[in-house]
Amino acid sequence: MFVTPPLAGPPSAQEPIAAARRLTVLTGGSSLRGTLSALALALIGLGAAPAPVHAETLLNVSYDPTRELYREFNEVFAKWWTDQGNEAPTIEASHGGSGAQARAVIDGLDAQVVTLALASDIDKIAEAGKLPADWQSKLPHNSSPYTSTIVFLVREGNPKGLTDWGDLVNEGVEVITPNPKTSGGARWNYLAAWAWAEKNGQDPQEFVGKLFKNVPVLDSGARGSTTTFAQRGIGDVLLAWENEAYLALKELGEDQFDIIVPSVSVLAEPPVALVEGNIKNDEQRKLADGYLNFLYSPEGQALAYKHFYRAWDDSAANPEDVARFPKLELVGIDHFGGWSKAQPEHFGDGGIFDQIYVPK
Amino acid sequence: MRSPLIHRSPMPGLGLSMGITLMMLSLVVLLPIGALLLKGAAFGAGNIWETVNRERIWAALFLSFRLSFFAALFNLVFGVMLAWVLVRYRFPGRRILDAAVDLPFALPTAVAGIALTALYAPNGPFGSLAAAVGWKIAYTQWGIFIALIFVGLPFVSRTVQPVVEEIEREVEEASATLGASRFHTLRRVILPMLMPAALTGFALSLARAVGEYGSVIFIAGNIPLKTEIAPLLIVIQLEEFNYDAATAIGIAMLLISFAILLVINLIQVWSRRRIGYV
Repeated sequence: MFVTPPLAGPPSAQEPIAAARRLTVLTGGSSLRGTLSALALALIGLGAAPAPVHAETLLNVSYDPTRELYREFNEVFAKWWTDQGNEAPTIEASHGGSGAQARAVIDGLDAQVVTLALASDIDKIAEAGKLPADWQSKLPHNSSPYTSTIVFLVREGNPKGLTDWGDLVNEGVEVITPNPKTSGGARWNYLAAWAWAEKNGQDPQEFVGKLFKNVPVLDSGARGSTTTFAQRGIGDVLLAWENEAYLALKELGEDQFDIIVPSVSVLAEPPVALVEGNIKNDEQRKLADGYLNFLYSPEGQALAYKHFYRAWDDSAANPEDVARFPKLELVGIDHFGGWSKAQPEHFGDGGIFDQIYVPK
Repeated sequence: MRSPLIHRSPMPGLGLSMGITLMMLSLVVLLPIGALLLKGAAFGAGNIWETVNRERIWAALFLSFRLSFFAALFNLVFGVMLAWVLVRYRFPGRRILDAAVDLPFALPTAVAGIALTALYAPNGPFGSLAAAVGWKIAYTQWGIFIALIFVGLPFVSRTVQPVVEEIEREVEEASATLGASRFHTLRRVILPMLMPAALTGFALSLARAVGEYGSVIFIAGNIPLKTEIAPLLIVIQLEEFNYDAATAIGIAMLLISFAILLVINLIQVWSRRRIGYV
């Protein structure tokens, strides 16, 4: 009765699905003993995955805002893979809060590929021994096939006249952001505000503190915040991933919201990696390698652009998708000393973010 | 020959059913709680205290238990009324209403939370009415209170209903013939009979509310020191891969809950003795 479900943010259903997939269905005998042993076997079957018998399968464990991207990417990749003379693969994607997803993989979720919001989440999987510590050097661009940044989504016509970070701490402005303690995206929001304050001669800690005092609702994930802002009508500005902001425009109507690009923001590099420890055979490794490399192919990059990510190679992309992104000053995580330093310093237990809410 | 101390039951299958019961109980209830306590033991009582003894954590624990208590109290009153109405009166749609009482059990809590938030947000149908008179419901403690009522309501009505069915009308009629007023009959005859079951329902409703996460998280607002529930703190610690701190908060909740349930049980024993039910 005091069980807290191990879910963070929007429920990710990957575990029940994984369990259901592995459930061995047995038809028991007619006797009680037969039924019982069948039940026992079925229970054991919950833990043991049957050996794959047909085409290769791949599970991509990802974070929330990549739902739409990977839905399309998986289809395009499967078709390309089959065209290369391979058997049609079964590709599944699981989405949820980045940290919760990382924990699921550490605790045994059978993902061959992870595509998460923060390098520090994948580092934790590496610490658990599922992939080598130098994973980030294995693929180009710090293993980030696409990047994004943080922008403002405001209500149509920008009634409060918000143009840059400095406006967000004004009296009476309500800012919507997820909780940096539970959301990878929200950590970028926080760091972007910090970087702006540094560049504009303000005390960053005080500035970020003031900004979070203007936050009336701290959702646990990026999607939850988008819902709070867009559907529930709370707040004047949503701090959002650039791709989430464009997606909100597309889904909810361009006549309702505007995107404001601040003068300074962060270069968010959501990284991808192959989970060595979960690769069962050479065939599966080939598939997983192909999958990750395809993210860097012109077609893969075009899809990233299409789904509002800033990618690297625009040779196959629709020029309209590329032209959408304005230039702005982007600060990378290196500026904060990398995630291994920034994470505990800002977001760890008793870190700077916690101090914002220390009672005075 | 078996030992004369063990009397063979005339009903067969005690050994088997007892074995299954104990195994299921261990697998599903005792093992997870045991694992929690074991992890806590490795962390150490001193560390647990140090983790929990912080203003923000006390604030969240106090909020969770206080609102759960009030929600359970609300459910106690209205759950008993609901049970009474469903059993004693015949009206069109009674069966549908009766079935609807169980819906909070069946609905995924996240769905319930999102639905409640949509209703009580300032632009929702109820939320906008409240906003018109200057009240805020969603993203305040009121929102948490409503979500906790929702998840706990069936416990009281479902435990009280069978007892209401058992009460014989003759008892009330006898009370009336002896000159008692309706209120007097209710207070001295009916309520004492319902009380043990109602208290059980109250305890269940309270226990459920304390650990509730899914439905509350969407409506709570989750602002530290104001609308942050204790289960969210556990999730936050897990998000930092800090299993020890998460365990510490979990154990704190377990101990507080255990103490509360113990008190409720004692009250139950006392009330049963007082009115002569065993």
